[in-house]
Amino acid sequence: MSSLELISLAAGYGPRPILRDVSLSVAGGEVLALAGPNGAGKSTLIRVISGVLPATAGQARLDGADLLRLPAGQRARRVAVVPQMIHLPDAYTVGEIVLMGRSPHLGLWSGESRHDCEVAWGAMRATHVEELSERRVGELSGGEQQRVVLARALAQEPQVLLLDEPTAHLDLKHQVGVLELVRGLAQERNLIVLMTLHDLNQAALYADRVALLQQGQIVAQGSANDVFRSELLSRVYGVPVTVSRHPLRDVPVVLPDGK
Amino acid sequence: MSEAITNPVPAAARTEVIDRADRLRPSPRRGLGLAAATVAALLVAALLAVVIGSVAIPPGAVLALVLERLTGLRSAVAYPPAYATILFDIRLPRVTLMALTGAALAAAGASYQGLFRNPLADPYLVGVAAGAGLGATLALVFNLPSTFVGLSAVPISAFVGALLTVGLVVLSARVGGSMPISTTLLAGVAIGSFASAFTTFIMLRSPDGLRRSFNWMLGGYAGGGWDPVLIILPYLVVGMAAVQLNARALNVLQLDEEQARQLGINVDRVKLVLVVAATLMTAAVVAFGGLIGFVGLIVPHSLRLLGGPDYRRLIPLSAIGGAAFLILADLVARTVVAPQELPVGVVTAIAGAPFFVFLLRRLKRSVF
Amino acid sequence: MLRQPRHWMMTFALAACLVLAGCASPATVALTGTPVPPATVTAPAATQAAPAATAAAPVTATTAASTSTAAPTATLPPPTATTAATTAASGPITLTDSLGRVVTLAAPAQHVVTLAPSNTEILYALGAGSVLAGRDDFSDYPPEVTQVPSIGNESPHVNAEAIVALHPDLVLAAGITSPDDVAQLAKLGLTVYATSNAANLDDIYKDIQAVGVLVGKMDAASKLVASMQDQVAAVKAKTASVTTHPVVYYELDATDPSKPWTAGPGSFVDQLITLSGGTNAGDIAKDQYAQISLEQLVSQNPDIIVLGSATFGGQTPAMVAARPGWQSIKAVKNNMVFAFDDNLVSRPGPRIIVGLEKLAALIHPELFK
Repeated sequence: MSSLELISLAAGYGPRPILRDVSLSVAGGEVLALAGPNGAGKSTLIRVISGVLPATAGQARLDGADLLRLPAGQRARRVAVVPQMIHLPDAYTVGEIVLMGRSPHLGLWSGESRHDCEVAWGAMRATHVEELSERRVGELSGGEQQRVVLARALAQEPQVLLLDEPTAHLDLKHQVGVLELVRGLAQERNLIVLMTLHDLNQAALYADRVALLQQGQIVAQGSANDVFRSELLSRVYGVPVTVSRHPLRDVPVVLPDGK
Repeated sequence: MSEAITNPVPAAARTEVIDRADRLRPSPRRGLGLAAATVAALLVAALLAVVIGSVAIPPGAVLALVLERLTGLRSAVAYPPAYATILFDIRLPRVTLMALTGAALAAAGASYQGLFRNPLADPYLVGVAAGAGLGATLALVFNLPSTFVGLSAVPISAFVGALLTVGLVVLSARVGGSMPISTTLLAGVAIGSFASAFTTFIMLRSPDGLRRSFNWMLGGYAGGGWDPVLIILPYLVVGMAAVQLNARALNVLQLDEEQARQLGINVDRVKLVLVVAATLMTAAVVAFGGLIGFVGLIVPHSLRLLGGPDYRRLIPLSAIGGAAFLILADLVARTVVAPQELPVGVVTAIAGAPFFVFLLRRLKRSVF
Repeated sequence: MLRQPRHWMMTFALAACLVLAGCASPATVALTGTPVPPATVTAPAATQAAPAATAAAPVTATTAASTSTAAPTATLPPPTATTAATTAASGPITLTDSLGRVVTLAAPAQHVVTLAPSNTEILYALGAGSVLAGRDDFSDYPPEVTQVPSIGNESPHVNAEAIVALHPDLVLAAGITSPDDVAQLAKLGLTVYATSNAANLDDIYKDIQAVGVLVGKMDAASKLVASMQDQVAAVKAKTASVTTHPVVYYELDATDPSKPWTAGPGSFVDQLITLSGGTNAGDIAKDQYAQISLEQLVSQNPDIIVLGSATFGGQTPAMVAARPGWQSIKAVKNNMVFAFDDNLVSRPGPRIIVGLEKLAALIHPELFK
């Protein structure tokens, strides 16, 4: 059973610490939603796990291996990121962008092999962008671009998939589409999925577990039912909220008090 | 080890999947067509440039003389000895040098455009022009003596000047192990401006130096026979190889740097290698040919429009296209007002201005 | 095909190997060839006294190198005596030019290409205009020179092709020709002689003598130099007794009238003004070719303004009078502003004497009618 374990992870930019003593564990096939107010350190955590920002303390272990000490190429074969701001160079085609996801598997001297193309194609089919393969990404809508980036991440054949605010800038239909896609992929491919979400209700619906981050520390983690309590959320977010029940599913619904 | 679960596909449909998957690779037919056309353009340009000149040598004579040199077979017609001198000691070296210069400038230009993710980037961006100009001016004004190998001091001084300036820029821009792009640009502008100002100051101190330095900067063929070609060649080969090896990484770099790092690219090393390689190539050709502008801009952009942004193809195509372009520009420069020669940089600039207008209008459909 | 980076790599490597192998191979050696061998000196000791300048001069004439004795350098015979030198119409010639290069000719040149107007004018003044096969674009005197084919001017570089096509036996470069261009032409097998970057009249005399040797007109050269020296002496004699030395401002360029370019100390114009009995307003500058600010000019308050800028800048006395701030200058107030043919003083050739006489006539009209 594969798993990602974060043990007392700490990181920051220069002298300012952003994350302090973050400990988490996510299993293969599981989707963990990371919630918390702005500045809590959600994006920073993604950066640390993907290796862009060095950790000042703690460890990250993937199936026991020390993730943070891996060279970038090897880490990229295990960890893939769908970033929040998607700036794709306009002139490349969807196919070319998705094939970039094969970079970690290619050496300096080689180009993409047939196998690489097959993996990329499979990733494109999984995110339903295969019909767009010849289109230039500059011509695509925001939702389509995000699915292209998701396909690129899948083409890396990762064990861990990190998504930073995947539903930002999308309309409701596409939000739901992406979340359902991610949950389906997690189960199909036994991926360890960590995604940051602003919308607590989406977290409740589409994540298996939730971790609540405040000022760089995990203040609660577990199922949505356990973590989403009105006093806790009101304190963490600094606004009064009330927690109710979703009428159709066995998950909580978080609503602002509205006074 | 991750489990790559591909969707189970029945055997009959599997070929269809494979065929469609293969379509992801850049189409060989389309790529070949453009490559062939570019190579053809180069050959035609070279042929024209060897045959045409301020002195008319008929094509038949060219062929006969070349055959004579290669095989020793004397031709039936006795051509004036001046023809042979012009052909083998002036024109052929000139055409070859222009080809190498165009190739280096275009390839370096394409690399810089990718590196800085900016369509206005050209090979002179990080201080090569200013440094080479300073070096050349110092050599010209202070009449530095000829050195060993029979080379005049000017190319060596220009080359060293260019390398030192870019080295200074890179050192100034390095923060920790990385070289942020915006900082590099600023450092290039700042240090380049300083070098240019100093150059102007020295130029004005000596009227003779002013004229000669200005001539040098205008760029163009400065004679020298085959020596410059043989000297430039290793730099070109090494530079092109280094750039081509990093072309795929350059593609990935077009995403932002953070995404490139997350895809496993060693961004800092790629940037450094590209800057060094492009600088070596550019400095080598500038040392002998002066500051010829627009080649590093026009050629990569045109080929990007025609062949797409993939640097693995763009770099070699730019090299070949740059060679053809500069050969033709030099041909125009030495024939249009013969026997007077225009500086090549003037011809490339005249070609460049309308090109930019064209590019601006085309940018509705972004090509970057 | 050629999709993979490694394919490109191999292609490059292969191309590089081919090129490098080709460079080493006989085929390319044959293709690059060797330049046409220069006109060599064939022989032996001619004992004629080739007219020569003094040993310290940059031009030294020696007899052919096969003699083991040190080359005798004859000093220039005094200008009033005619030399005993034969009009060497034949025989090898060896000279050292102003760049220190040893130049040899088997016989006096019959087919000359000049790279500067000064050398063109020298040739014609020696009566050797018929040997001129090609000239630079700026050569325009005497008028018949425009019939001779032009090889362009030297910016940005000399047109080697055009020169080679005229198959000259001698190329006369000048002080303004870049040494790199001279080297390039020599490498192509041409015989190139570079006259000096003349700093004074003596340099010009030496250059005239050298050209005379090269085209077999040594007599004419000596006569020309003698007559030039006579004319200078005449001017000097007349101005020896002047009591006033009018301040003269010679303008080279007035694109920026608040900081025009003038001839500074040590320049030719400066020397000519002094010879003509004047004072150069520009001698407060530090360089031979210098800018002078309007303030400095006003404080120098020149009596005479000579517009060398008329030739290449189209300046006229009326335009000068209209320049703001110039009206207080004596020369402007007294209408002593004259257009002048700058070519007369900027070409180190025979016509510099004409320039001198014209300047003297402007400065001391009472002495020179």
